[in-house]
Amino acid sequence: MALSLHIAILELKRYLSNRGELAFSVALPIVLFGLTYAVFGGGVSFHATANIVDLDGGPAARELVRRLDALDTITVRERTLESAESALDRSAILAAFVIPEGFSEALESGESVSLTFKRRGNGGEEGQIVAGIVRSVAQEVGRQGRVRRLAMSALEGSGVPPALIDEWTAPLIADSWDNPPVGVDVQYLEGEESNLLYRVVPGILVMFLMFTITLGSQTLVEERRLGTLERLMTTRLTAAQLFLGKFSAHVLRGSVQSLVLLVPAFAVLRVGGLAEFVQIALICVLVAASVSGLAMAITSLVRTRDQASWSAVFITMFMTIFGGTFFDVGDGLLEVLSRFTLNRYAIESMVGILERGQNLGDMGVELGVQAGVGVCAVVLAAALFRTSEGRG
Amino acid sequence: MADTEFLVAHGLRKAFGPFQAVDSVSFTISQREIFGLLGPNGAGKTTVIRMMSTVLKPDDGHISIGGFSVTADSDSVRKLIGVCPQELALYPELSATDNLVFFGRMAGLNGRQARESARENLERVGLQDRARDRVEQFSGGMKRRVNIAIALMSRPQLLFLDEPTVGIDPQSRNHIFETVENLRDEGMTVLYTTHYMEEADRLCDRLAIMDHGSIIGLGTPRELKSEIGNPDRVTLEDVFLEYTGRRLRD
Repeated sequence: MALSLHIAILELKRYLSNRGELAFSVALPIVLFGLTYAVFGGGVSFHATANIVDLDGGPAARELVRRLDALDTITVRERTLESAESALDRSAILAAFVIPEGFSEALESGESVSLTFKRRGNGGEEGQIVAGIVRSVAQEVGRQGRVRRLAMSALEGSGVPPALIDEWTAPLIADSWDNPPVGVDVQYLEGEESNLLYRVVPGILVMFLMFTITLGSQTLVEERRLGTLERLMTTRLTAAQLFLGKFSAHVLRGSVQSLVLLVPAFAVLRVGGLAEFVQIALICVLVAASVSGLAMAITSLVRTRDQASWSAVFITMFMTIFGGTFFDVGDGLLEVLSRFTLNRYAIESMVGILERGQNLGDMGVELGVQAGVGVCAVVLAAALFRTSEGRG
Repeated sequence: MADTEFLVAHGLRKAFGPFQAVDSVSFTISQREIFGLLGPNGAGKTTVIRMMSTVLKPDDGHISIGGFSVTADSDSVRKLIGVCPQELALYPELSATDNLVFFGRMAGLNGRQARESARENLERVGLQDRARDRVEQFSGGMKRRVNIAIALMSRPQLLFLDEPTVGIDPQSRNHIFETVENLRDEGMTVLYTTHYMEEADRLCDRLAIMDHGSIIGLGTPRELKSEIGNPDRVTLEDVFLEYTGRRLRD
């Protein structure tokens, strides 16, 4: 095992010393991610920042800010009045909402009160949408204040203490917020994905992992070209140790490469939470292992760099095109061909987790196929190498 | 020179398709001996070394090194040998030290031993000042010296040097001669192949002249010279041309 570890370390050292390869495998995924972010605008859902100036600070004002901040579509940024006006003057922001002093007290006493919507020009499309959302939430807070006030008024003189009235009305108010009497159900047209990113992100991840085949398929050819393979064969290294070392290095490299994509995908595109992140990361490691196995099989069979490149390109293209990397394979011949690709099983399992809320336990077939391909490919590769080099 | 036969090769044969690369080659090498293999291009010298260093299996014949059969007990043989191949076998993007330490680990040394051995061997080949430089920045002669230093990392009992001085400057060549002589003085057994007659004359205790896959002359340089004339007047080049002919080769 120690010799395999040194082979793996050597492989990684050589990889890290090659700036071109490093750029290819780390920088390009980030560029591609940036393009994806630009195309999909950080997701298909609206998201904006609400600049709030709270001059009141009372309970109703704080409740309004809290509820706005709890919305998925809005991030609240609280500012002072001076800061908001200065930012508006500089066009750093286009809109800000001011909760006036006495806002909470006015609501308490049943008086009408208004938020101030300060805007530059028309406030921008985003500002107008945020204004609508703020208005809706503010009116809800106002209505709930009114319910509380009516309850207080109706029970006035009954001897029921105001604290008890608050205790009764608070859960009802919270329930009406969580379960509004009128909701909106979203129905997707047939065949349309609920979130395109749930397929795009796995597609990009798997596509980049496929490049491990191209890089890995060169490994023994390169050792032969350098003359180091023959030299290694005069040491105590066995074929199994050589393959285990190189295989491990490629798995690690593929896994790190997918992490480079995975982190921004979850942090910026918000395609899922921590549980989904961990499960997708584990699938990436499995895919990295199976494609590394295929790379080792190729490198055992071929003798020249061209043979290695073309074999890897063919397999990568076949699996990317017919594996439904960025689209649903549907039925028919494409569906049949997709069964012979790793992409299908990798993407199916990732989409299942992101879109259908499944977990790794539900992915037995998909994970089993990938693991099986990886193990069989490495065993086949080592056997081919032993046969061709006459090495035990 | 000790009499113990450290390497015994008997009836070696190896063919690549219809081409008989090695045909009935037999010789022995004693411990602490520098044994030279001389021959024109394509004579079969490198094929003999590849069979002896466990890379190729002979079609026929037997090789034992240190009492171990190369084919039946190759793992034991690999612990005894160091190989400096004819072509450079280095990782150019790594430093000289990294190259040596890596092959030291492959030879079974632990980290401390490998680093110590790398330092010693870089000093031996005169590259201690360039230890941390990438090999790709080295001249041809320096790369050749690193190639030799790697072969010494396992502290072998038998060193195979396959044309170690091809295409290098006189200074590097002379440094390699001195290195090989020092190794002999330290008790190492060496199998040395070369095109250069003066090298063979200077370094080798005994020589085998190969052509067309067979050994056509075997003995000390003086014995071989005596076979064609006065050994004080005849050169090894005369012997070589006498045995292999003066016709141009491909």
